[in-house]
Amino acid sequence: MAEAMKQTVAAMLKGIERYNPENLPTLERYVEIQSRENAYDLEANLAVLKLYQFNPHSFSKDITSQILLKALTNLPHTDFILCKCLLNENQLSEEPINQIIYLAHILEQCEFQLFWTRIHTLPELTQRITGFLDSIRKFVCHVVGITYQTIERSNLAQLLGDVDDSTLNVWVKKYGWKDQGNLIFISNQDENIKTKNINEKIDFENVGAIMAACH
Amino acid sequence: MDNYEQGYNNDYDDYGAHTGDPNLDNEYNRQYYDVPELVNNFLIYFRNCVKEGLVFELQTLYEQSWPKLTEDYFEKKPWPEETYVATLVGSDPVFMILYKELYFRHIYARIQGGPSLEQRINSFYNYCDLFNYILSAEEPVPLELPDLWLWELIDEFVYQYQSFAQYKARLPKKSPQDWETLNANNKLWNVLCVLNVLHSLVDKSNIKEQLEVYASGGDPDSVSGEFGSHSLYKMLGYFSLVGLLRLHSLLGDYYQAIKVLENIEVHKKSQYAHIPACQISTSYYVGFAYMMMRRYSDAIRTFSSILLFIQRTKQLFASKSYQHDQINKQTDQMYHLLAICLVLHPQCIDESIQQTLREKSYHEKMYKMQYGDLQEFENCFTLACPKFLSPCPPSGEYPPDEYSKEAIKHQTAVFMDEVQQQKMLPTIRSYLKLYTTLPLSKLASFMAQNNRSNDGKWDLKKEMQSLTIHLLCFKHKMKNVVWLKGASGLEGKFQSGSELDFYIDNEMIHIADTKVAHRYGDFFIRKILKFEELNRKLHHIKI
Repeated sequence: MAEAMKQTVAAMLKGIERYNPENLPTLERYVEIQSRENAYDLEANLAVLKLYQFNPHSFSKDITSQILLKALTNLPHTDFILCKCLLNENQLSEEPINQIIYLAHILEQCEFQLFWTRIHTLPELTQRITGFLDSIRKFVCHVVGITYQTIERSNLAQLLGDVDDSTLNVWVKKYGWKDQGNLIFISNQDENIKTKNINEKIDFENVGAIMAACH
Repeated sequence: MDNYEQGYNNDYDDYGAHTGDPNLDNEYNRQYYDVPELVNNFLIYFRNCVKEGLVFELQTLYEQSWPKLTEDYFEKKPWPEETYVATLVGSDPVFMILYKELYFRHIYARIQGGPSLEQRINSFYNYCDLFNYILSAEEPVPLELPDLWLWELIDEFVYQYQSFAQYKARLPKKSPQDWETLNANNKLWNVLCVLNVLHSLVDKSNIKEQLEVYASGGDPDSVSGEFGSHSLYKMLGYFSLVGLLRLHSLLGDYYQAIKVLENIEVHKKSQYAHIPACQISTSYYVGFAYMMMRRYSDAIRTFSSILLFIQRTKQLFASKSYQHDQINKQTDQMYHLLAICLVLHPQCIDESIQQTLREKSYHEKMYKMQYGDLQEFENCFTLACPKFLSPCPPSGEYPPDEYSKEAIKHQTAVFMDEVQQQKMLPTIRSYLKLYTTLPLSKLASFMAQNNRSNDGKWDLKKEMQSLTIHLLCFKHKMKNVVWLKGASGLEGKFQSGSELDFYIDNEMIHIADTKVAHRYGDFFIRKILKFEELNRKLHHIKI
């Protein structure tokens, strides 16, 4: 369904057509479909926020919340910031948008444990976004993947939201990490993260001209 | 739908420069009794050049004669009224539209107190006339203008929209009467109308298709179509893309801002990018959008490349004072933005740009930001950011003061949230810089000792937990999308471009730094040149 709509919607985003308020119902429906089917289309969602910006009376808190939550599922990309810039302070302070803003804030600071405690107190908020929690786990794995060479098993389980052993193994397998008992081996970071030395190279040709001029 | 399609197709016969009152019109004429002969001759010659399409001559008239005459005769007053010029040059509607564009632009730039509501309205309708003439023609109109003029025309059009939005936000308090007039006429300087004009110019010229073919090495003329092969349409189309970049940025739409420039490589010289003011403006908005998207490497690359260009070509701008002011201002703003980016994302940049940042006030500001002075971040940001707009008019009882600043306040808040999230990173970076390996526990105890609020009492386990969070955040914030190749500036790959990097192996942090050896080549060349200069002077001394 989302795939099929992508084409229809693409035509609505071209040129001046992007600002046509008559497209809003279709685009809003497309947001709902994305939530339901775990699909994602940033450009279409930004067009919805743009139409709200130009037509404030059409603003829908519910659709905006979904767009913001979907943006979180695409971390570490900065989609959330792009969405935030199209809203205004009043809209951001509305319930539950303010709670989503807070969630984004702690995720951006990588306070994952705090995030998991928080999210368990707000089960309805993300219920409609299919695959929301696993998307966040993907983001956690991204950050772990760029930070660690080896990480303690219990630590990783905590970062992923206190997952049990079998779930942990699924994630470890998915990313090609290696189970070493107490430790999980992530990757050989020392191959990529190396001290760089930048030295100036001056050869004879470079100085030839100036030496000739001094003559 | 109809509220934006009509956009610039309104019935606007009500507005004209004539007041309709014969006494007042006489008043106007008397005012210009003493228009100098030189100016009269200039206007007649100017009109003839437009009519005959003498582009090179027009370039001189536009770039030199007009500013010179402005300085000599119209420094603080408007150029002669339209009715006067119309009688002088005879009936020539196209020339009159062009003249009025310059006339209003001069009022916006030079007349104290700025344009009145009536002048703003008239200028708007004059733009409508101009774009209607160009866009609704069956075949390309026989008009050729210098590229600089076309660029400034589009840039001014967006500027006047921006100026109007700000004016409108302040209006209810200042003049309730004007506010009534305005509400009765809500299509004036409407954002959709401005977008529509720019998009129409883009579409009419096939500029997107042309750029795509050009970027892949083909001949743009093969897709330019009937209109797009004409210089007037082609360049208006190109400049409209930059106009859209600016407009999207003013409205906080950074994604569209970058997207609209697809197939334009901002740093590359091309047949389209030869107007320095246009290149500078493009880089300013592109760099800014990248900074907001946390794509610091891309922002730094964009800013340093254009600042280097400005450094090298500085003497080019020296002659034209008005443009020069504009360019100087944007240059200073870009140094501020670059300073912000380099504090958040330390990285090697070109030595001569680095040199400027070491000078002047920049150095002190960077120092303060490095030490976590949030106020300094905010000051630099508000000084250097575009003048953001809220596109929608305030409703009746909304306090207008707050409204006009709301958009800037909001964008600043979004940026400051980001800075806030990164506030621990400089401290961590300063410790990591001292080591090649460092146990987590040791760094945790450094951090705890550094923290004055804990009275010397702290728990290592807790400290290690919060340190781990900061380290994860460090890695996350320093790994950003960086453009490598491809038509769209939105594309890119995740990279860590900052000079310091690390990884954690269980309990141990391994640090990789970038070490730059002292550069002596540049130093010696400068000394040699200085010595030469001295030597030459010595030879000239006659004893």
